[in-house]
Amino acid sequence: MSGFALEQALELSLPGHRWFAGKGRTIAAVTVAASVTLVEGPVEARLVTLAVRYDDDEVDHYQLPLGFRRGELDDETQRSLAAAAFGEIDDDGPVFVYDALADPSLTAVLLDAIAEERVVGPLTGHRRQQLDVAPGRLLAVEQSNSSVVFGDSSILKFYRRLQHGRNPDLEVVLALSEIGSAHVAPVLGWLETTDPFPATVALLQPFYRSGTDGWVSAVASVRDLFAERDLHAAEVGGDFAGESNRLGQLIASLHADLIRALPVDEAGPAEHSRLATQLHDRLREAVQAAPELESRRVAIAAAYDEVGTLDIVVPRQRVHGDLHLGQLLRVDTGWVVLDFEGEPARSLAERTALMSPLRDIAGMLRSFDYAARHLLSEHPGRADLEYRAAEWADRNREAFCDGYTDVSTADPRKDAVLLRAFELDKAVYETVYESRNRPTWIWIPLAGIDRLIGRATGADGD
Amino acid sequence: MSLADDGSRPDPGWYKRAVFYEVLIRGFADENGDGTGDIRGLIDKLDYLQWLGVDCIWLLPIYSSPLRDGGYDISDFFQVLPEFGTLGDFVELVEEAHRRGLRIIADLVMNHTSDAHPWFESSRSDPTGPHGDWYVWSDSDEVYPDARIIFIDTEKSNWTWDPVRQQYYWHRFFSHQPDLNYENPAVADTMIEVLRFWLDLGIDGFRLDAVPYLYEEEGTNCENLKPTHEYLKRVRREIDSQYTDRVLLAEANQWPSDVVEYFGDDDECHMAFHFPLMPRLFMAVRRESRYPISEILAQTPAIPDGCQWGIFLRNHDELTLEMVTDEERDYMYAEYAKDPRMKANVGIRRRLAPLLENSRDQIELFTTLLLSLPGSPVLYYGDEIGMGDNIYLGDRDGVRTPMQWTMDRNAGFSKADYARLYLPVLQDPVYGYQAINVEAQTRNSASLLWWTKRMIEVRRQHPVFGLGSFDELGSSNPSVLAFVREFGDDKVLCVSNLSRFAQPVELDLSRFEGTLPRELLGGVSFPRIGQLPYLLTLASHGSYWFQLTTEST
Repeated sequence: MSGFALEQALELSLPGHRWFAGKGRTIAAVTVAASVTLVEGPVEARLVTLAVRYDDDEVDHYQLPLGFRRGELDDETQRSLAAAAFGEIDDDGPVFVYDALADPSLTAVLLDAIAEERVVGPLTGHRRQQLDVAPGRLLAVEQSNSSVVFGDSSILKFYRRLQHGRNPDLEVVLALSEIGSAHVAPVLGWLETTDPFPATVALLQPFYRSGTDGWVSAVASVRDLFAERDLHAAEVGGDFAGESNRLGQLIASLHADLIRALPVDEAGPAEHSRLATQLHDRLREAVQAAPELESRRVAIAAAYDEVGTLDIVVPRQRVHGDLHLGQLLRVDTGWVVLDFEGEPARSLAERTALMSPLRDIAGMLRSFDYAARHLLSEHPGRADLEYRAAEWADRNREAFCDGYTDVSTADPRKDAVLLRAFELDKAVYETVYESRNRPTWIWIPLAGIDRLIGRATGADGD
Repeated sequence: MSLADDGSRPDPGWYKRAVFYEVLIRGFADENGDGTGDIRGLIDKLDYLQWLGVDCIWLLPIYSSPLRDGGYDISDFFQVLPEFGTLGDFVELVEEAHRRGLRIIADLVMNHTSDAHPWFESSRSDPTGPHGDWYVWSDSDEVYPDARIIFIDTEKSNWTWDPVRQQYYWHRFFSHQPDLNYENPAVADTMIEVLRFWLDLGIDGFRLDAVPYLYEEEGTNCENLKPTHEYLKRVRREIDSQYTDRVLLAEANQWPSDVVEYFGDDDECHMAFHFPLMPRLFMAVRRESRYPISEILAQTPAIPDGCQWGIFLRNHDELTLEMVTDEERDYMYAEYAKDPRMKANVGIRRRLAPLLENSRDQIELFTTLLLSLPGSPVLYYGDEIGMGDNIYLGDRDGVRTPMQWTMDRNAGFSKADYARLYLPVLQDPVYGYQAINVEAQTRNSASLLWWTKRMIEVRRQHPVFGLGSFDELGSSNPSVLAFVREFGDDKVLCVSNLSRFAQPVELDLSRFEGTLPRELLGGVSFPRIGQLPYLLTLASHGSYWFQLTTEST
């Protein structure tokens, strides 16, 4: 088979995938950096690692488990694999190339490698317990990673973007699993590679079939509130504050588990000053990307300056790093926290650094704000409902902090300077994201910023 | 089908498929025109119940009583309350019911009697006499301090001083209801005689009231004790050895994990009520989230093969809030009892329709869930036509007003003078008998009554609803509850939208790939199930029941 033809086919199809983070950038070259044959025969499977080099010479690595079928496909196969197609290449006749994760006969090999702790070339499977083998199916919702569910019992998260070293998702969840934390889906097994560099390929965890994420539930509550224009957030049947309180308890308890399982340290004035510099740097970049921030820049910077002059010592630890309502899964018996990869855009060093747990709390507080307001963007009654949305957000933010305080005994609201700075940092990041991806939503983070700087300076925003 | 000539073909599992219908004799139909419903009135209405399609009538206490607690204060276990009729009337009721394929069970209180019972009179006045040791007497009121007080509104202690005997007597409920002393073998034997007496008259079973409290023991909370279970096992043995097709239903207002004890090893009670499910159904719909339901069903332990849960939406008591947490209880009060009069003890006294603000689609949603969740459903008289309540009547009488049969005088319930009725019939413009009655709804095939009848009929055609396994399906939409009931080849998929807004749901039905969902009410075939998530859209508070068939079209 001609490698050149394959690389071309793959390059063409890359921008169509949600997990491809290089959209909008110019690709200079795509090369196969590693290739492991998983299955041989008429239906062939290979785990291919692509090196994508952009015109600025940055390189990203993407993992593609590929299936290859020679000759004419029967109708049934064509139908079932059409959505997974990467294209057709010519190798002494047509070869159909597709995403192997969509083919149960090929994903079985991945599960088997973990269950039997097999070594396949540079790949090694690891398991933490005995595993049931069941046919796999690819989850239809494509995100930054791809997931295959085996039976109803386990889910294999396949990391699309390959990064040096152990993925923090595996590292943190494994550490929490080892201490028996009840707040995560424990690690069942994983797959590692050494080629083209040591990295985590995939993570196997229990699958919670009946789970739904916190975002959807919170939005159902907001929708209910908007339908009852004459009732306050505390009065409507769809009140979410009880769950928010439980979520606060959950995150406090998760943070305690992280302290038990992983390293901790403390941050004093020197670290605060460094943190302030970082925050200022990020703000400067953001203002360039989103001019809407310009009129707010001085007030935000003032809040960061307060961080720089803090004369206290605060604890730092490993945190979730990208916490929001969508990372929390409601299962029949309670809540579970998912996805410890951290913010995808940040470097591995940043994502594994020790941080104040207030980072996660700021993420949640912003998420409540989003849940309350995102329905308003296209809502005809936006002006009337803004008041209700603010009421819902305040009520649930408070309930969350109350719940957190109940368990941790430290009230995050008392660290107002740090918490506000982290919230602002998050909202600034959101503003840039919205200005690039959903300009009609940009007012949501901007309203959050205005509230935060209004409170900090005693002024009415801008 | 007639049960009377069906004796040669016993059907010991009947109660697992049955739909129960709770009747208040006093409030159902008055044959003799004295203003109070009676057994002969109920006999006249058996045709209606047969038409409605229910399987078993559950009667509240029918025994002689001073009626200080709705008949749960029994003063003679071997007599029918004279207002209701005679033993002869009761025998005729059982025969007429069986002739129509209906069964009859009745409440029986084993834990205590009325203080007007001759046994108690004898026990207090003659401590060394034949009944001296039939009740629980003590010189101190500090015995069994760990037993909670159930009626916290009215009772200060579980002990009350008796000036005649100069001792305290033990009572878990009202002070006029002394607890029987089961440590005394004569009491234990006599209560089995009571059961036999009614079983010999043809009754199909009992709901055993307040069973957790039969025995007491120092250092415990005096509930669910081992001797209590041993006694119930003995009752079951006695019944199994001499009768067929009879059922014992335990009333134990406890968590399911405790209630399962009353099933024993398939050798104690056949049925028990699942109490916590009911308030959580209300909570789930109000929160538009399936989790209150999912959570409690996930916590419900498996039960022996011969056993079944009894489930209900409303009954003659208040909406029971004992099985929800404090936080949830506050929530229920705020939502469903905006008027403080609607609270009673630790519950809420409303009928189904007013609880749901008379919303037809919500009533249908709740009834659909009742008829499809695991367990045998118990309907409360009048809820099939959407009757209302009168919260200004005392105690729990607000939900016990006369059945509304027609728009004639006294709702067709009684020919007595209006002022003589045991409780006034409802007359308000929304729920009054002129607006809500059986006759009018029988003539309108789009009525709630006809809808209920059709749903019961569909349920009867599918034993899977009574016998099948229960498997909740997940989806990314928390407002949609979806589950599959399976019994052999009979597979039914139930999907309900708990939200007031239309909702889509994508269900993972890959396990049923290739099968064809056929909607059970209309028989309409839906697209065949494939590998991809199965998309359904549901109207606000809408539901589907599908049979999953393997047929080719």
